[in-house]
Amino acid sequence: MSHDKHHGNDHKGGGHHFILSYKSATLVGLTLLVLTAVTVGIAGIDLGRFNFFVAMVVATIKALLVALIFMNLRNDKLENGIIFGASFMFLAIFFVLTFADLFFRGDVYWKEKGQPFPPIAGVVGKPKFKKAWNQTPEILAHGKQLYAVQCVSCHGADGKGDGPAAAALIPHPRNFHSNEGWKNGRKLTMVFKTLKEGIPGSGMASFATLPAEDRWAVAHYVLSLNGPAEKDSAADFAKIGVDPNKEDAGGSEKPTIPVAVAMERMAEKDTIRVTTIRRPYLMKEGTAEGVGAQIYRTQCASCHGERAQGGVEVKNLGGFPNTIVKTSPIGNVDSGRFQEVVLKGLPGDLMPGHGEFSVSEIRELYNHVRTLKQ
Amino acid sequence: MSQATVTHHHAHHFASADDEFEAAKQGMWVFLVTEVLMFGGLFVAYGTFRGMYPEMFHEAHKMLSVPMGALNTVFLITSSLTMAMAVTSAQKGLRSRTTGFLAATFLLAGCFLVVKYFEYMHKIHDGLLPAGFFTNHELTNPKAPLFFSLYFVMTGLHGVHVLIGMGLIAWIMIKNQKGYFSPAFYTPVELVGFYWHFVDLVWIYLFPLLYLVS
Repeated sequence: MSHDKHHGNDHKGGGHHFILSYKSATLVGLTLLVLTAVTVGIAGIDLGRFNFFVAMVVATIKALLVALIFMNLRNDKLENGIIFGASFMFLAIFFVLTFADLFFRGDVYWKEKGQPFPPIAGVVGKPKFKKAWNQTPEILAHGKQLYAVQCVSCHGADGKGDGPAAAALIPHPRNFHSNEGWKNGRKLTMVFKTLKEGIPGSGMASFATLPAEDRWAVAHYVLSLNGPAEKDSAADFAKIGVDPNKEDAGGSEKPTIPVAVAMERMAEKDTIRVTTIRRPYLMKEGTAEGVGAQIYRTQCASCHGERAQGGVEVKNLGGFPNTIVKTSPIGNVDSGRFQEVVLKGLPGDLMPGHGEFSVSEIRELYNHVRTLKQ
Repeated sequence: MSQATVTHHHAHHFASADDEFEAAKQGMWVFLVTEVLMFGGLFVAYGTFRGMYPEMFHEAHKMLSVPMGALNTVFLITSSLTMAMAVTSAQKGLRSRTTGFLAATFLLAGCFLVVKYFEYMHKIHDGLLPAGFFTNHELTNPKAPLFFSLYFVMTGLHGVHVLIGMGLIAWIMIKNQKGYFSPAFYTPVELVGFYWHFVDLVWIYLFPLLYLVS
């Protein structure tokens, strides 16, 4: 572009203004037209997904020619380049965050009026435990499963009060490994009461939407994390309205859901929000239970289904009784990704992390899960 | 070289005419930043829906005419060239040549809008309208109206920019004829040029994204 020149201004200030020669401008214009022909030509050839990238690269070359030469950004002040460039940087952030969300979360869709509900695994609403205040290995295991879905986000996978959401909560969530500072007392009945009513003024929500037996199970589990709890007296049971001689886990308790949720539910008569989370596997019948199958049955089945058909029990969904969570396919997952998901969970989904598994256990689980695939 | 018949005096709060020019230019860059972000939102929406319904985009884009889109690309790129030449002419103080290039730019922009008009009429005739106004039966994909929502909003916003650009070009053409500009003062010509090149720049992306979906 030897014909371009800096033109000395004859007015006060005497700056130098760059003048683009007609010849250079024509050259750039012709290049842009040739590149347009290239774009159209290449679109006619099937290059698979490269078509898109080639089209975008050519468009960006054209855009750079326009900005740098026609708009003369190449001779402009650096700060103007930074200003204009910053808009593209923010646009890039906008793109990256939007697509990160779009492609790495489950689908959300709406159940239309008259359409059948997606199938849900598990028994809903039928009590499994009699006299749920008596600790048994079964109810403890059930409590642990519920804990992994309902509590980990705040109280952390190990119950140390260090879940992903903990930092934002003041006061911080309870560390179950400490005996200090239990607001309602470190007794089974009092934990049950806390789960029912929440702790006003703190981040502890009411879990009254969980069936009473599930709250007993969670209470058993969190108390099991650190030494024996204080014994409950008959008066303690009376305080929460439970007669320990009867079999009914909830005493005189009527099923309730929070007013806000009920109102929301009334407003959403026709559409019920359904969140699809992850994969349904179909389990082959009659296979002998190995380590992987055992882990699956005890750790995964509560959400992914006893027979791996997917689905989470509605009653496990705490604050969102009108949300049905079911599991759906995540496509072909390699063993590395599988290990990562099992260890860390899927933050934002209900999939909790299982850092307690060893690598060999996860490998067994992975092999087992592969056999479940349709 | 013709001298300006109307002498421009820089505003009193600037130390010199050069300061005024640089400040005006920087203001224009900042304005273009807001433009990038406004169109950017639409491009993100486009990317989101194309990511969700790639087959629908492929099927729906076939209803657009590539020759017409390509012709419009040629019109806009050529108009960018004539705009650049108009700025060069203004910098050199060649008044009638500046007017000539601005008139060419204006005409090419008009050609773009005429082609766009025929394209829009054709789409309306075929019922290829946004969202609830979509009445076309040729396209079977139930999400197809979404493509035309994006098509009309993106090309519509761009078309409004072309229209505003034509108004600005006409304005500086008249000012140029009246002798407002000289090698010492041609700021409005240069800045309208910026705006016009930006309109071209947006179309450079719109054309392959809407007309050439692979």
